[in-house]
Amino acid sequence: MTLAIKTSGLTRCFGDLRAVDSLDLRVEAGKFYGFLGPNGAGKSTTIKMLTGLLAPTSGTMCILGEEIKDPDKAREVKRRVGVVPEELALFDNLTAREYLTFIGRMYKMPMATVRERCRELLTMMSLESEEKLTLEYSHGMKKKLTLAAALIPNPDLLFLDEPFEGVDAVASRVLRDTLKRCVQRGATVFLTSHVLDIVERLCTDFGIIVAGKLVHQGSMDEIRAGGSLEERFLEAVGSDKIEHQKLSWLED
Amino acid sequence: MDWSQLRTIIWLRWRLTRNQWSRNQLNAVLIMIVAVALLVLSVVSGVAGVLVGFFILAERSPTRMLIAWDLFFAAFLFAWIIGMVSEIQRSETIDISRMLHLPISLRDIFLVNYIASHLTLSIILFLPLILGLSLGLMLSGQWLMIWMFPLVLSLVFMITAWTYCLRGWLAALMVNKRKRRAIIAVVTFSFIVLVQLPNIISNLAHDRKKHRPDTVKSAPLDEQATRQPVSRSRRPIPNAVLLAHKVVPFLWVGNGAMSLAGGNALPAVLSAIGAFGIGGLGLRRAYRTTIRFYQGHTVGRRSKQRPKTKKVSTVRKNFLERQLPGIPDEAAALALAFFRCLTRAPEVKMALATNFIMLLLFGTMFFARRISSLSDNLKLFVVSGPIVFTLLGMSHLMLNQFGFDRGGFRQLVLLPVPRRHILLGKNLSFLPIAVGFGLTFLVLVKIILGISFTIVLAAGLQLLATFMLLSIAGNLISILVPYRITPGSMKRTKTSAMTSFLIFISRLSFPVAMVPMFIPPATGLLMSRLGWLPAGPVILLSSMVLLGLLVFFYRLSLPGLGNMLLKREKQILKVVTEKVE
Repeated sequence: MTLAIKTSGLTRCFGDLRAVDSLDLRVEAGKFYGFLGPNGAGKSTTIKMLTGLLAPTSGTMCILGEEIKDPDKAREVKRRVGVVPEELALFDNLTAREYLTFIGRMYKMPMATVRERCRELLTMMSLESEEKLTLEYSHGMKKKLTLAAALIPNPDLLFLDEPFEGVDAVASRVLRDTLKRCVQRGATVFLTSHVLDIVERLCTDFGIIVAGKLVHQGSMDEIRAGGSLEERFLEAVGSDKIEHQKLSWLED
Repeated sequence: MDWSQLRTIIWLRWRLTRNQWSRNQLNAVLIMIVAVALLVLSVVSGVAGVLVGFFILAERSPTRMLIAWDLFFAAFLFAWIIGMVSEIQRSETIDISRMLHLPISLRDIFLVNYIASHLTLSIILFLPLILGLSLGLMLSGQWLMIWMFPLVLSLVFMITAWTYCLRGWLAALMVNKRKRRAIIAVVTFSFIVLVQLPNIISNLAHDRKKHRPDTVKSAPLDEQATRQPVSRSRRPIPNAVLLAHKVVPFLWVGNGAMSLAGGNALPAVLSAIGAFGIGGLGLRRAYRTTIRFYQGHTVGRRSKQRPKTKKVSTVRKNFLERQLPGIPDEAAALALAFFRCLTRAPEVKMALATNFIMLLLFGTMFFARRISSLSDNLKLFVVSGPIVFTLLGMSHLMLNQFGFDRGGFRQLVLLPVPRRHILLGKNLSFLPIAVGFGLTFLVLVKIILGISFTIVLAAGLQLLATFMLLSIAGNLISILVPYRITPGSMKRTKTSAMTSFLIFISRLSFPVAMVPMFIPPATGLLMSRLGWLPAGPVILLSSMVLLGLLVFFYRLSLPGLGNMLLKREKQILKVVTEKVE
């Protein structure tokens, strides 16, 4: 079994708060992994650490079989990874085409390939006729462009933080199919989402993080055997809270 | 809207302000001190107005009255315009967009916001002064001057109402982020020109005086003495000026004061009614545009829907696909992307254009006045001036290279490229700007001062050498002391006291970094003074050596600074993105 992501005791503290607490994550290569958790559970902090946007307080991380503490190895790993971060990473004053060209060149792709993939991705995301600068884009358009940038190098591992948030139904459908194809060709997708339905339909494996701790990790097959992902999620998060969240005056 | 709703909204505004103050108590204390100081100033200004009206203006002729009131009102307008351009976007006391869904009257909120917009420095200082002036004149026995009160108030109403309308219109235009940045840049630029206006006029007047024909000077002294007082005090106001005072609303206050001093109240009354009417129209329009803006109507002429044509940009080579000879591919792509970002940002263009115009303006003034007194030795050094100024204008960009990227810096962290290439790309993106401006100035200096081609060529090499030096310093300071920049501006924001201090020190040390620039001319001068070699070839040779040395040091510094960037990139990311997004 080859692991695409492996963390041991991964921890990140912000002052007294342990946003991620001794996380031991195992994600097999070629899997579609859904990383779930309530708001503020530590999902984005985990992704930031795995992608090199945030330094961990302690613990180790192995991405695509490489320890990413060594800068040279980290750079080689980055070459095989695509990322859609929580806060988008665009340059305000470039057009979509320019931005994708820039990313393509950063991944040392041949110019003909960059042009071809730019065209296909922009068409797929319905951004082909956009000559606006990215700063004029709506949130959804920015998200689509960031997704296109993550896909352009055809990476072995994709980190997607809430990729479907703000994306229209058509692009969302196209994107889901694209991600499925990525997994079919052997890539690994690590995604966080609040939409359990999407995770249930797409993912092969999942993990649930609550208050910085990984409380459940398993295969989607076991969910499909009985029950639903929502039930499992509520069970892990604490469904008893729902009982207390009723409005007395609506009962009358 | 009933009174209880309005009271609740005013309470909400007060609560928001109080909560804001309680979070930053030092700020609250400062605000209180400023408020008390303004109140005192306002009272002083009012009293001063009464005294000036009573003791100085009371016995003046109607013509003098017109001139005096014009001057006071012009001062108020100047202060008002400066206040307006310094806060171009209307900040509303109560945010109407958050009230649209509530069952309340938007007109009342609009009026509250409009009244609150009068709390400006220009009104606090000038309105009591002008009203005090009217009171002083009235107390001196000119009872007709009572009509100055409605006239002044209606004119202020007219100005504030139309300003409110203009700001609302600009706010609607600025919904488009690209236009917003362009408007802010243009307005800030206008502000700089406006502030410099007295200086420009004074300099032009100085030049004119200097170049006045000698015939005036040669006139007999006694003739001049008799001619001057007549021309200054008793010269009648030209009819065109008087007509302008009747037609142009801003001049009605002077015209009203003149007619009241002459015993005729009708022009002042009519002007007050007219100004009130125009102000009413402005306020009505402001209300309509505000509501239309919040309800999402577009502003401006509707352009004809042009059929969308398929762009051929897939075939055409786009700018970012270009290669730079001798530069690694990744660094070249980075340089092109950064250059594109820089040249498309209105705030950067504005900052560079301001620098360019300032140098052009002051340089021309300086050379025009002192060109004849410049010695040949000094000319060797003067040629370095424009280069230093060019780089000084770019230093705030080059010493905080990542602040301008904001969220884009996150992409740089994610990129699989050696960090030295990022630094190289950053530096290269500034090179065309530095060279472009620098060479333009050098050509101008050559034309004005008639400096030899060898010296100008040497100065070009010095420009490159100094750019290398500034790049090394810029890379280091950008890594060690990054700071946030407000989106759409070059203004730093939310910097700690320590960072501010370090920024101050780094800016202060800029002249020290420029010292090598003066080594070649100093060497040339020394050699020629000693009689060993002529200055020109020595300066050229030493400039080449200087450039060679700095290119060597620059190359030497890149790997180390790249590693430093790699180690600090997460901290930089935190600084340049946090609280800005």
